Amino acid sequence: MNAPAETVRGGVAGWFEERLRISGLLAALLHVRIPVSAQTYYLGGISLFLFGVQLISGTLLALYYKPTADAAYESVKYITSVVDFGWLIRSVHHWGATLMIASVGLHMGRIFVQAAYKYPRELTWMFGVLLFAVTILFGFTGYLLPWDQKAYWATTVGTEIAGGVPLIGDALLNLLRGGADVSDATLNRFFGMHVLVLPLLLAGLVVVHLTIVHQLGLASPRHPEPRPVRRGGPAQPVDEPLKPFFPHYILDELIAWFVVLAALVVLASVLPAGLEDEADPLITPQHVKPEWYFLSVYQLLKIVPRTIGIVAPMIAVAILLLLPFLDRNPAVAKRRRPLALSAAVLAVIGLVALTVWGAQS
Amino acid sequence: MTSRRRRLGTGRLQLLRLAVVVGGLVALAAVGVGGAVAQDGGSSPSPTASAPVGPTASGATGDTNTCRTCHSAIDNVQHEITEAWGASVHAQAGINCADCHGGDPTSDQVTVSMSVAAGFRGTPGRTESVATCGDCHSDVTRMRQYQIPTDQYAKYRASVHGEQLFGAGDARVAICIDCHGSHDIKKASDPTARVYPLNVPSLCASCHSDTAYMEPYGIPTNQLAIYSESVHGKLLLDESDLRAPTCVSCHGSHDAKPPSSAEVVGVCGRCHTATQALYEQSRHAELEIGPKCWTCHGNHDVVQPDESRFFHPKPPSIDCTTCHNPVDRSLVLSADRFTNDDDRRCDTCHHPDSLLYAQAEGIHDALATAAGAYDAAEAKIREAAGVGMIVSDADVELAGAKTSLIRARAAVHTTKLTDVAALADEAESKAGAAQAIAEEKLDDALRRRAAMVIVLALIVVNVFALILIRRRLDHSYAGASNGKPRANVLS
Ligand code: HEM
Repeated sequence: MNAPAETVRGGVAGWFEERLRISGLLAALLHVRIPVSAQTYYLGGISLFLFGVQLISGTLLALYYKPTADAAYESVKYITSVVDFGWLIRSVHHWGATLMIASVGLHMGRIFVQAAYKYPRELTWMFGVLLFAVTILFGFTGYLLPWDQKAYWATTVGTEIAGGVPLIGDALLNLLRGGADVSDATLNRFFGMHVLVLPLLLAGLVVVHLTIVHQLGLASPRHPEPRPVRRGGPAQPVDEPLKPFFPHYILDELIAWFVVLAALVVLASVLPAGLEDEADPLITPQHVKPEWYFLSVYQLLKIVPRTIGIVAPMIAVAILLLLPFLDRNPAVAKRRRPLALSAAVLAVIGLVALTVWGAQS
Repeated sequence: MTSRRRRLGTGRLQLLRLAVVVGGLVALAAVGVGGAVAQDGGSSPSPTASAPVGPTASGATGDTNTCRTCHSAIDNVQHEITEAWGASVHAQAGINCADCHGGDPTSDQVTVSMSVAAGFRGTPGRTESVATCGDCHSDVTRMRQYQIPTDQYAKYRASVHGEQLFGAGDARVAICIDCHGSHDIKKASDPTARVYPLNVPSLCASCHSDTAYMEPYGIPTNQLAIYSESVHGKLLLDESDLRAPTCVSCHGSHDAKPPSSAEVVGVCGRCHTATQALYEQSRHAELEIGPKCWTCHGNHDVVQPDESRFFHPKPPSIDCTTCHNPVDRSLVLSADRFTNDDDRRCDTCHHPDSLLYAQAEGIHDALATAAGAYDAAEAKIREAAGVGMIVSDADVELAGAKTSLIRARAAVHTTKLTDVAALADEAESKAGAAQAIAEEKLDDALRRRAAMVIVLALIVVNVFALILIRRRLDHSYAGASNGKPRANVLS
């Protein structure tokens, strides 16, 4: 990409451009067009923004956090009550996690409703499901770190569920806990997962996800993507009104981020992250409850036989992953997808009902 | 109660059956060996006055116990008796049928094994049975190996039960087997034993709550009902807390007798040691007619005390002669016990115009102030926790205040205003410190909210700015494309 001499501007931008020759790449990344009818609700971008918030607040927390069973609780207490703005950082990280899981879930819902997972975006969707799984794992591993009673016992119950997985349950339980019980060893591996493995994994998956999104452009919620007429031939042209991605869409996205930031600030100030008594393996609290996003599985486990309660969510994830191949209907209009949409509505009702039930019982 | 009657009935049946079997023989042999029958313990101060019977005397071991072989086959009742014995501590220690019933367990001839000549005694009578138990259980040499005391028989004789049995010949009183069982004896530490602490209240009540059975003695029968509602009863019966006193903790078991007014301080003090020590320092303790523990706290109905225990809502009308001799002004009041809980108050004895009333008032006020400060601090801390603040440091301070408050309340037993006031002040100042921490946190929470509003305002400004830019962009874009979005080919 040899830029002709006449396009080189002066000033700082020009100085850098001469040395980086990057304007072509930026133009390719930013100056794309998206269908006017595309309605993303900015949820993918919000998920990305929240991931950024979690990276920054998490890094700040790591400055004071001590990942050992002896010191973890005290260090979290220290962060919350002594460190300047420690309470804010911790509360932002706490609420950021909840909002991120919510926004990733809603993003997935938007993709489903608009049928954006269909040809040619099957891989975008599958990487998305992996992103969803990693986000949930973030929540699961992070929950233990404060090492209070809630953290300890929710993790005890959570890992026990993993221990019920057919065939590999025992090995999985041992792998997760690093021993027979939730202990210092568990805390260490959860910490390692939470601050090293999962962030790298999520970042990598996001890069792949967004690259594919960029390459394919946003889906039209009105027309199915045309297939090539014959092998290697050009796509059938579709008359679709387009608008620029930059700066129009980016500006809207920015406004959405500010709104989410405002929500985050309010939640962190009004309902700051708390801390229960320090974890005590000898005292089982009366009510052990997981975070809200695990309540449905938790409640399901209480009402059906153990194996079913464990295998059913695994099958659900498998169905999600393979959805683009299971749903062969090419239509994107809602009227023409009655089966997929009613199945989804039922699934959501079931999920919400189980969550509410789990929260109340 | 009913179970005991049933046991008595079974015993009689058994006797009858035995009489039929060995009737003739007994008549013959009795002439020669009448003296061998155990004497009545009631007439002898020591049960060992009769010929000692025991494991060594009977010689019955394991498979040579012919009693068991035959009796387990007679009928269901007999079978159950042998089974119950088989599961008992006695069976474990090798104490066999013949050790209590006499006879020769090595012979399988009923005419020999159950002959008077072989020392057969049948079922001991109720009075006699106490001596039968006492025979072994008073024998230090025999009991040493089991590490159990040997004074139960002596204690029993000194109990109300024992006095009634041996003195008045009243066999309706509780005897060893009524509480411990006869064939099915278990260790007191066995949770299924009737004498296991958690089971003691209902065991005593099996007779003592029976109005008909208790009628001749004119004693109340509602103690269990009252006790169940007391701090002690709730702790023991509802929470299975074995530290809580059962009936026998205060009355004694083998030596059961209600504690007297002179004894009650020592009885309560067995557990409430520190409180007893404080009480001993008081003016109350110096006076022979002074109030004892139960004067203010009651006995079976002890409840959690608080500051309301000091005074009646309205002072009762008492005049000088209620307490003082009108002639020489000496104290005549004997404030032993009040059945009505409302009467267990300082101003039942101390007249509102008296100096001692003023002192009681001072003690009450010091405590009430400290308790008020404690409650206020606790409420503030909960409030701070409610807005999401971490309050563990305030909780630590509050725990200190609690300790001081408990000590101040205990010091009431000294009746010394200075002692109580010093500790109450300490509690108050610690509670104050805890409250200050909580208030600081509440202020902090308010500041956070103020900061939040500022940040929100900044965000709103930014969003407005962005919306403005967005509008302008739309305009210029619409202008450039003649008000219509450009159509394009999606590839
Ligand atoms: C950390 C998690 C995720 C991030 C940061 C993320 C980010 C994004 C972004 C920025 C877009 C552009 C359009 C938009 O904003 O909606 C997008 C599109 C997309 N995402 Fe995600 N995503 C995540 C998770 C998921 C998940 C869980 C799924 C589905 C299982 C998914 C499926 C898709 C698909 C199919 C598209 C293309 C949509 C279209 O072309 O209209 N993503 N994602």
